[in-house]
Amino acid sequence: MKVVGITTQQEVFIGSKDRNFRINEFLIVEDINQGDILGEVIEAHTFNRYIPLDTGRDFVDDSVLESLKALGYAIDEETIYISKVRFLNEANYPVETGSSVRIPKFSEVKDFMLKSDDENGLTLGVIRNTNDMYEDMDTEYKDLVYTFEDGSLIEQREVPYIMDIRSMHQYPHIGVFGGSGSGKSFGLRVVLEEIMKHNVPTIILDPHFEMDFSAKASYLPDEISYENKFVCLQVGKQVGVKFEDLASQDLKNLLDASSHLTDSMNNVIDVLFRNRDSLYSFQNRMNDLTESQELGSVDKILDRINSASNDEERKAWQRKKEVFEKYDKTCSYNSVKGIMWRLKRLENDGVFSKDIKAIEDNMQVGRLVVIQGNTRLLQVFSTYLLNNLYHKRRSYKDALYNKTASEYFPPFIVVTDEAHNFAPKGYDSPAKSILKEISQEGRKYGTFLILATQRPTLLDETITAQLNSKFIFRTVRASDIQTIKEETDLTSEETNRLPYLRTGDVFISSASMGRTIYGRIRAAHTESPHTENPFDELKKKSQEKNINFFEIIKDKLPVMSTDMINLAMEIEREEEIRFTVENLEMKLSEMVEKGYIKKEENFLGQKYSLIEE
Amino acid sequence: MENKLKKFNDEVKKSYGNILNLEKNNLKNFIASNIGPIYKSSKPSKEAYLNYEKLGGIIGVDGSVNRKGGASPHYVDFFRALAKSTKKQVEDRIINEIYSPILDKDMKLVLEDDGELENKRNQILSKIEVEVAIDAAKELKPFLIMMDGTFIRYIIDCKSTWEELRDVCEREKILLIGVIEDIKTHIIGSKLLEMGYTDRLSYDRELLFGRLDVGEYIVIEDSDKTRAGQLTSALMRSSNNPNIIGIDIIDTQRGRLSEMVDLIFGLTPENSRGVPIWLDIVDSEVKISHNTMEAYLESYLDSEIYERYFVETRSKR
Ligand SMILES: Nc1ncnc2c1ncn2[C@@H]1O[C@H](COP(=O)(O)OP(=O)(O)OP(=O)(O)O)[C@@H](O)[C@H]1O
Ligand SMILES: [Mg+2]
Repeated sequence: MKVVGITTQQEVFIGSKDRNFRINEFLIVEDINQGDILGEVIEAHTFNRYIPLDTGRDFVDDSVLESLKALGYAIDEETIYISKVRFLNEANYPVETGSSVRIPKFSEVKDFMLKSDDENGLTLGVIRNTNDMYEDMDTEYKDLVYTFEDGSLIEQREVPYIMDIRSMHQYPHIGVFGGSGSGKSFGLRVVLEEIMKHNVPTIILDPHFEMDFSAKASYLPDEISYENKFVCLQVGKQVGVKFEDLASQDLKNLLDASSHLTDSMNNVIDVLFRNRDSLYSFQNRMNDLTESQELGSVDKILDRINSASNDEERKAWQRKKEVFEKYDKTCSYNSVKGIMWRLKRLENDGVFSKDIKAIEDNMQVGRLVVIQGNTRLLQVFSTYLLNNLYHKRRSYKDALYNKTASEYFPPFIVVTDEAHNFAPKGYDSPAKSILKEISQEGRKYGTFLILATQRPTLLDETITAQLNSKFIFRTVRASDIQTIKEETDLTSEETNRLPYLRTGDVFISSASMGRTIYGRIRAAHTESPHTENPFDELKKKSQEKNINFFEIIKDKLPVMSTDMINLAMEIEREEEIRFTVENLEMKLSEMVEKGYIKKEENFLGQKYSLIEE
Repeated sequence: MENKLKKFNDEVKKSYGNILNLEKNNLKNFIASNIGPIYKSSKPSKEAYLNYEKLGGIIGVDGSVNRKGGASPHYVDFFRALAKSTKKQVEDRIINEIYSPILDKDMKLVLEDDGELENKRNQILSKIEVEVAIDAAKELKPFLIMMDGTFIRYIIDCKSTWEELRDVCEREKILLIGVIEDIKTHIIGSKLLEMGYTDRLSYDRELLFGRLDVGEYIVIEDSDKTRAGQLTSALMRSSNNPNIIGIDIIDTQRGRLSEMVDLIFGLTPENSRGVPIWLDIVDSEVKISHNTMEAYLESYLDSEIYERYFVETRSKR
């Protein structure tokens, strides 16, 4: 390998007759005057000037090539390899053309690749194209990870990529970008597994119900368990919002997250909601108001009071009269109804039946808390939750600073997939302001964000700008590539490669490294509960169903179409499964179609029977 | 423009009409009876190539010249001649030369006319080509040296050096041939004129264009004074291209001509201009790229000299 052509202080071309270059590999240029200069391959080409692309030159037939070979000259051996190498630090002078080039030893590049070790960092994968350094790498860096490629598990042959978790103190936030199927969720899973290794309290919002760590990955030989390191909690089932703890702003946020609030509805809350209200007392007050508003006047309410059949009823109408007199002017009927409807919806989701104590308890012992629920519910809940947790942490730190007493609350990480849903660009969304606040001030308080999204272009730009490290997976959409160009220090050679990255291959652009690393996420230790191909799943399900049904009916065949009602009754009696005649006929003809049974027509109608062997 | 071209076409047709209309077979008959037989060459076997390799391989020789700078005398010409062996482990032999008219003491050539400078340029190029061939012949002892171009050029431009090359090759039993892409002879044309078949002299390339089949060739014994006793030539169609190439061989080796023609035929890609691939390869390697030249100049000339003499005023703007 030699430096060829015109050189500069920043870049050189390197040519080789026998070694194909790989992007992002390190090479050392041995300049006679300046000593060793470390560089990284940013472009790689192979070239054979006798096998030209353009048809302008003569196309050489094989027999001529054979003759040349017999004469001692093999044209295919004339292929040369050329790479463009960028120096990590600018050289003092342009490099001497003709300088030799060699592959570095691990020790010479270690500092550019590893800022931590397995014990203290997040071992996320391998750095691509570093095989040449594997052999003389310290053993502590070997055999740390597997990668999973083309359907098989591959032992580590490259330098590991270990992210220094302590550097998050300085560079707190991480973005994970990439198109559909590029490996974001898988990558997040690996990040989370590593976070669990360190017992860092973490909240993950999981709208897809995919972040469960109880199933060991099927391809993995070793036994690794994350039991007791995480919990999955569902909004409305195990966790929720304690209504009594809500301030009126919290309530507005909640309801607004559920469905947008008008000014007049906001006003209704200002007027009607009182601190320490229970869900019941608040709902009652609104109920009283709307019922009296439906009557329309004090006179009509008085009529009801007078005609009340018992004491209780009278008292109730008296109460309604007071509410009416006090609030009718300021609260419009429709707006109150609107609030009631929204509140009811959240109540039905179970949001108010639980609190966030379970979350806090698990965080206090350093667990990863997976919060599951549909996207809408998560938006509502996370707004409340994050405000709550962040302010607890903040009060603790502030108290510490002011030397006053306060309950300990640990630093924590907030993780979410589909982040553009939580903090969209261009319009307001309830969770956005808290995420923005954390992104801007979280560093001070030890609160960190890991935000993944398919659409970086749709993510709030203030937040994007605060993401100090970025994992960039395959991205095809031009607008997203453009955003990535603007928001990261990826070179144009690198962004040009984005559409062609393999699933799981990633550019990691991190402020703490000061450069971009091309890596591959390691094989995860655990598996998402539903990684099964949805089409396989459908097929399997319907097969199962068919087999079950066949078991049920096979002893009852043959059966005439006129006997369907009896068959249905029989099945219901024996198996406690209800079929209408119509359903049963459909099911039977599906069985015929799938070849389980056969159908014959005769003058009495249709007859379903077993297929004889 | 269209009219002018049409008119030109008509005039060419009128002047050369009887040549253009000459039947392929009639011309062949004429050649066979007045110039010499038409031969058919055949490509060598693989064993033959392996044997050539054992005997020392083939060396291709070619030269290139690049100019940097502006109008005369403010330019410098870079000359390079390369002798390259088909044998892998054999090092290339290279001779570099530069020439600039500003170094001509009394500026005689400059003041005379551009034709003189042109001659000088050809002479330097021819000379280093022959020199690199001599060097290769002495040091590498190949089976064959294949020059790019006709021997006539060397005889005119650098006779004594050429004769040294010829002598070395004869002494060392190295075959020496030249391959000519643009033949400029008019041997058949002269004969036609002489015998009154035409009333103007035609070049052989015009006459033979498309009239030989692939692999056919004729041998020319010339009576030209400068060439007499020095060389023998063949004219051949070596590829699907209708063009004819020439092959020169020194007279003392003319017994090997048909073997050489076969070899050239075998080394020429079917769909090419007709030049053996080895010369094409040497040709592309001997060229100095513009960037390289610039880099050389910038690194080895004082910037004062470089700027003053060799930067075109145009590119400064
Ligand atoms: N590093 C990796 N090694 C091996 N397989 C991977 C890797 N990353 C992803 N995969 C596989 O590729 C598939 C898609 O990955 P993943 O679900 O992470 O994509 P995604 O970027 O989250 O897509 P979406 O945006 O649609 O959610 C998964 O089935 C996963 O098993
Ligand atoms: Mg995903």
